[in-house]
Amino acid sequence: MVLVLLGFHLAGVGMVLALGRRLGIRPLLALGGTAPAISAVWAVVQLIAGSSDRTSMVTWVGGLDLELRFKVDSLALLMTLLVSGIGALVFIYAIGYFNRDTTGGSRFSASLLGFSASMVGLVWADSVWTLFIFWELTSVTSFLLVGHKNQDPSVLAAARRALMITGAGGLILLAGLLVLAQQANTTIISELPAIGGTSGTIAAILVLVGAATKSAQVPFHVWLPGAMAAPTPVSAYLHSATMVKAGVLLLAVTGPAFANVEAFTTLGLAFGLTSMLWGAVGALRQGDAKLILAWGTISQLGLMVTLLALGTGKAVFAAISLLFAHALFKAALFLIVGEVDVRTGTRQIDQLGGLASSMPLSFAAAALAGLSMAGAPPLLGFTAKEAALESLATLDGVQQIVVSVGVGAGSVLTVAYTLRFVFGVFGPGPPTVVAPRRWLMTIPALTLASLGFVGYLVLGWVNDIVRPAAVELNAAADYSLLRWPGLTAPFGASLGILAVGTALGFGVIRRNVGTPEPKGARTADALLDGVLVAASRATGRIQHGSLPVYLTVMAATASLAALPFFTGLDTSGLVLANQPLEMVLAAAILVSATAGAFVGSRLGAALTLGAVGTGVSGLFVLYGAPDLALTQLLVETIVVVGFVIGLGHLAQQFPAASGGWRLTRLAVSVLGGLSVTAALAAAAANSVGQAPLADLKAGAVDEGGGNNIVNVILTDMRALDTLGEVVVLATVALGILALANVRPPEVPG
Amino acid sequence: MSIALLVTVGGLTTVGLYLITARSLSRILLGFSILGHAAVIALLTAGGPPGNAPLADRDSASDIANPVPQALALTAIVISFGLTLFLLALARRQQALTGDDLVEDDLEDKRIAARLQTASTEATA
Repeated sequence: MVLVLLGFHLAGVGMVLALGRRLGIRPLLALGGTAPAISAVWAVVQLIAGSSDRTSMVTWVGGLDLELRFKVDSLALLMTLLVSGIGALVFIYAIGYFNRDTTGGSRFSASLLGFSASMVGLVWADSVWTLFIFWELTSVTSFLLVGHKNQDPSVLAAARRALMITGAGGLILLAGLLVLAQQANTTIISELPAIGGTSGTIAAILVLVGAATKSAQVPFHVWLPGAMAAPTPVSAYLHSATMVKAGVLLLAVTGPAFANVEAFTTLGLAFGLTSMLWGAVGALRQGDAKLILAWGTISQLGLMVTLLALGTGKAVFAAISLLFAHALFKAALFLIVGEVDVRTGTRQIDQLGGLASSMPLSFAAAALAGLSMAGAPPLLGFTAKEAALESLATLDGVQQIVVSVGVGAGSVLTVAYTLRFVFGVFGPGPPTVVAPRRWLMTIPALTLASLGFVGYLVLGWVNDIVRPAAVELNAAADYSLLRWPGLTAPFGASLGILAVGTALGFGVIRRNVGTPEPKGARTADALLDGVLVAASRATGRIQHGSLPVYLTVMAATASLAALPFFTGLDTSGLVLANQPLEMVLAAAILVSATAGAFVGSRLGAALTLGAVGTGVSGLFVLYGAPDLALTQLLVETIVVVGFVIGLGHLAQQFPAASGGWRLTRLAVSVLGGLSVTAALAAAAANSVGQAPLADLKAGAVDEGGGNNIVNVILTDMRALDTLGEVVVLATVALGILALANVRPPEVPG
Repeated sequence: MSIALLVTVGGLTTVGLYLITARSLSRILLGFSILGHAAVIALLTAGGPPGNAPLADRDSASDIANPVPQALALTAIVISFGLTLFLLALARRQQALTGDDLVEDDLEDKRIAARLQTASTEATA
């Protein structure tokens, strides 16, 4: 079924692309939304029917554990619900968002659906390789979607930044997964054992960095605000609700494997707490409503990473609850910003006013979602925040103090930027002109926002979705979200956070800081440009177009690779010569060849080549190879004749070469000769067994029906090879004919 | 294994490499031919000790030379023959068109290098 659903997505991409020219953007979006809708309905049915394990796999290379392996467990089902459910709503929303005559509809719908497919694939993956493939696919589709308005250089820069950072993170993740799979001795994610040791630490750090790039953790967060250049449906879907959760999901599923690795907790807490605070501060400094939400996402993701790094049962449960609640309220808020943007033409909070009365439904949705984000009752966000605060109570020592202070401060700032967002967009101000309502934009936002309240009312159902997912990761995570926690310390903390946050929020609502300089993005771009410039320089230097230099470099590299043969050479099997005549022939060959290298005249060179060939023929006779000797003599004769005929028109002397370059060539050639000699000697010292001479002889006579064993091998045993050789010679002959048929260029005039 | 042949292979490889890194196409051609010889002798020496011609009706199996490397060497000789003649035709064509047989630097590569150089100076400026 999993594969069928993926097939639906891919078929959808194909259909959207095929119909792209005939249909406008709206029908294409409706078509694209079908597959996520089906997938979401399937997830709901599975949840109601109760879950048993759903595993599917397509084996590619069995022996190497290379397979597309999927398993839809409770966590995957929860994520499917979010990815496909929000996906379907975003497609509906996009129909309202784009004007009827917008161009680029097929590209947008196909990329968005392609992303949806990659994301469900990532969520369902149960092999580290499958996970990695879909992880990279989400980066690529995200790049296409961020860069959708491909005429604007700043948009393209933002898309490039996002691709480079997440792409580099993907490579780091691959390294981490390799170490993890090696150490755990399995590639199946759901069967990863707890690993430790130095490799465990290395794997944990690499995986954490990979996850941090995807989930926009400080200092890799710089791509996320830039990605807001994408159309708002994309920001709502990819950059708040789903794709940025991929890193969190990765930490969740690999967390059990790293349970004993101290670096996982330490580095994870560092990433999470820094991001939570810095993201919230960033949100307070922005004047653009969409950027406030983007920085808020960084902060919220930081809280999830913090909880997963702690790894206790309660913390994991709280992280999964937050993941669920955050997807609902943050997607809703983004959709509202998009509607405000489309209907008023601006997202700057100091230019918006009176929207509470002119856009009442959106205001209601924003209030619900905002309260959920701030963690106020009676909403899902409140219960999740309670669970997070409660999980801090089980810690001890310095860790408890640091994490509690960080999370507390982060939560206070969260309340503040939520207030700033809601009052900035909907609060009083110079009245803004508002275009007519677009229902297709209002309804999805309202649906997602009210789900936060409905979820609070039917908290039992939410628990049935969240609890099994958390228990799968950590058996100790068997908790429930509470509608009313009672008068406990976490509840007191919640109230305190709300109070302080509200006070702080009202203090900063009217402070218009404007849009601060994106310093981080500048630095990232400068780094990328530096890499590109260095790459151009290196390419210019290495690939400069001279064939002799290329060949010299290749020969030198190959020779250096043969260096190990020089050590521990076994010389016991070597004799000076098998037959005395060998030495004479060898000397003759070497002298002729050396003369050929240095003789200045072309004719002389051709003659030395003939001498070398004749000497080699003599060696063949000594080694009992009359066929070779005959062939060689014939070939040599033709070559020398050809040489004289073919190059007869050329100048008598070779052109002179420069001194320094000649010395380099000479040195590399000598090195090459030495390494070939050493490799050959090493091969001789490590001979394996005897040649099956008797078998070859019997085979030639009985099966080939010939006495000349070499001939039988060529015409019988390797007949197909010999046929290929004949074809090569025929091709060469044709080529020579074509090349020879040339007239000198005529001089014009 | 015979040291004489080892040295021959090494020497021929050296000369061959030196020649194929030259500018003149006819020298490159000589180099290819000589490298071909080196490869054939290497095959022969790797096949074991010398013996009588591998003819089934003349000698017993213990006296004959290993026929497998001979078959491989025969293929090698023929292919290197084809390659040499093809290069010869190329050199001749080059000479007919330009008057000499020098291998020029690849124009496309030069253009790429030049373009990147200007791009990088612009980016740093």
